[in-house]
Amino acid sequence: MSSTAAIRLQIETKLANRVPAALTLKIKQAPELFPTGISEIDAVLGGGIPRGSITEVAGAASTGKTSFGLSAIAAITQSGAACAWVDVSDALSPESAAAANIVLRRLLWLRMSAERKQKVTDKPWSRLEQALKATDLLLQAGGFAAIVLDMSDVLPQHTRRIPLATWYRFRLAAEQARTALIFLSQSPCASSCAALSLRCEPANTRPFSTSGETALFEGQQYTLVRERNRNEGSPFLSKKPSTRAEWRAESLWARVR
Amino acid sequence: MYAVLHPPNFAAQVAAQQRPELRRRPFALIDGEPPAEMVFAVNKAARLLGLEVGMTRLQGESCSEVVVVPRSHGEEVSVQTILHTIACMFSPRIEYVEIHPGTYVLDIQGMNTLFGDSAQLASRLRQRVMSAGFLANVAVSQNFDAALCLALGRTGISVVPPGEEANAMRDLPVRILDLASEHEEIFQAWGIRTCGDLAALTETDLIARIGQAGKRLHSRARGAWPHLMFPIEPSFEESLAERMELDFPVGLLEPLLFLLARMTDALLERVKSKARAIALLRVVLHLDGGNQHERIIRPALPLHDKPTLLKLLQLDLETHPPSAAIVSLELHAQSAPPYRAQHGLFLPQAPEPGVLEVALARLRKLLGEERVGSIELKDDHRPNAFRTIPYAPPPPARREKPPLSVSMALRVYRPPQAVGVTLVSNAPARIFWDGQRYAVREVAGPWRVNGQWWSETNWCREEWDVRLATESVERVCRIAFDPRSRYWYVQGTYD
Repeated sequence: MSSTAAIRLQIETKLANRVPAALTLKIKQAPELFPTGISEIDAVLGGGIPRGSITEVAGAASTGKTSFGLSAIAAITQSGAACAWVDVSDALSPESAAAANIVLRRLLWLRMSAERKQKVTDKPWSRLEQALKATDLLLQAGGFAAIVLDMSDVLPQHTRRIPLATWYRFRLAAEQARTALIFLSQSPCASSCAALSLRCEPANTRPFSTSGETALFEGQQYTLVRERNRNEGSPFLSKKPSTRAEWRAESLWARVR
Repeated sequence: MYAVLHPPNFAAQVAAQQRPELRRRPFALIDGEPPAEMVFAVNKAARLLGLEVGMTRLQGESCSEVVVVPRSHGEEVSVQTILHTIACMFSPRIEYVEIHPGTYVLDIQGMNTLFGDSAQLASRLRQRVMSAGFLANVAVSQNFDAALCLALGRTGISVVPPGEEANAMRDLPVRILDLASEHEEIFQAWGIRTCGDLAALTETDLIARIGQAGKRLHSRARGAWPHLMFPIEPSFEESLAERMELDFPVGLLEPLLFLLARMTDALLERVKSKARAIALLRVVLHLDGGNQHERIIRPALPLHDKPTLLKLLQLDLETHPPSAAIVSLELHAQSAPPYRAQHGLFLPQAPEPGVLEVALARLRKLLGEERVGSIELKDDHRPNAFRTIPYAPPPPARREKPPLSVSMALRVYRPPQAVGVTLVSNAPARIFWDGQRYAVREVAGPWRVNGQWWSETNWCREEWDVRLATESVERVCRIAFDPRSRYWYVQGTYD
């Protein structure tokens, strides 16, 4: 045995109690994926959102973040797993959640308390703090297949002030709890902690339908751009998946028709 | 050894004890729904006048000297409590014989050091009952059933030495063996009047003629029928309580938790001894000034995990602290069979019940009771028609729904935000919202909705779907107009 190998073995044996296999390269397993329920997006993401890591969905208002989040949670709750929705601005519509086919009994909804006279986007510190604490508690409890931290109505300058250490802690906790942690925000905030970073953009505007007696809002066309995917397959793949997906969401009355 | 206490003609004795004026007069107790009342019990004087149990009320009243009184169940229960108390004084193990009201069987094994031998115990027991105002027969025997038959059939005290049961029962009438009507007829035809006559028959011949019931009757007539005693035990649930008086009032929660930990431990020991778990904890804090603070902790599943229960207690008391210092505390528990589940290897992930319970309690403390839970939609078209129910996910199971197209989500504002709207030909054209001026690019509506028009809480509004735009931003919103208050507001943004 060479001297290097001997030293390495000695160090690993010494540290075995504290850090198992300290100097051995960890073999990365392909992550388990949760389908999002939107085939166009699943194709771009190679199957869905990764379990045990952070997925960040950023975009302005009316770009489909919430519809995407609800669709993903619906697919996961229908598979029989438990999920949680941490709602910073108390903006989730129960009717929308039911329309997205979420199994409501499996969804834990946490509403942050907003002062009655306070505007939603004004001074969100206490609500953000509550939301981060609540997410932490859920990750520590474990057992949730997915947790959505919905910060869509919080201004980017506020989310950017959340210390990076929080996201690092969340990343570790999500990995240990095997939870898919999904952030919905106006601009990316978790930087390198997010294994998958997505950007939502408005696509070509679909005009309101005018075929009937009166105009009718039937749906929206959205674009989703994959900005970073840490779990992407080999960089030498001959055919790389596209980074952009166009998808559409329909209003409840249009689906019924 | 068993001692049997039997007050003969119990209902009549109770009536005479409660109404002393009846003691010297013939009386009959009637029971049942009017007008079909029947004579339920009579005293000796009434029996001599020809009254019998089972007569109708009219037959009872036909004899002018007899007083007819309705039976009182309440009085019987209170007298039974007196007899129960007396029986408890003589033995810790007693059984109540339901088919003979007021009759108790006492297990007197080992009680001789306190009350002397069996005869002395029987006599003291009878005296005690008589001092309470009742006549009672007392019989002592090694056989449960023989003692019962002797108490039913013989007046006064009967003490039977071990092995002499058959002799002692020889002269008792055969009807005290609770015969079925067909057996009674058979025995009458055979000329069998006493237990001694029945015991003299050969057991196999008797079984051959009247079936397996013959074996039981033969054994009972000989005083040899084995009977397992079922003593009345104090209710287990009532025993799950701990009380503690404090030397001085305590205002802080932390020292209180030390005491609660000890009390929880004691309760858990008791519960575990019966292989059960705690389903509910009720804390009663007696406060300085005479008030009382009560909290109920109800885990989603029965637990026997002390740290979890204690954490739930702590979080609940921190969320709902008492208003004054505490002078004494009580902890009551309710038990239930423990939660056991065999999880499937390939079933989806689900939170651990105990850990989830603590996490939810922490979240409730952080956010408030109403802001943690699952959604339950109400049967109502009003916006935000939902209520929050406690989160209890059903066991993991796959549920496939036919895939539909993706539905569009609405992000609502709670409370709705008021906006200024400029109308052009009765449709919104410009909106002033949150200090911004939006031009309305497209508009759909109005959708007029209303509800509860039959009651005071009726509501109505006109909803519009609008595509709003500034120079840089474009968003699709749902705005509404309330015709009553004449206010425009943004209900939510489609996202």
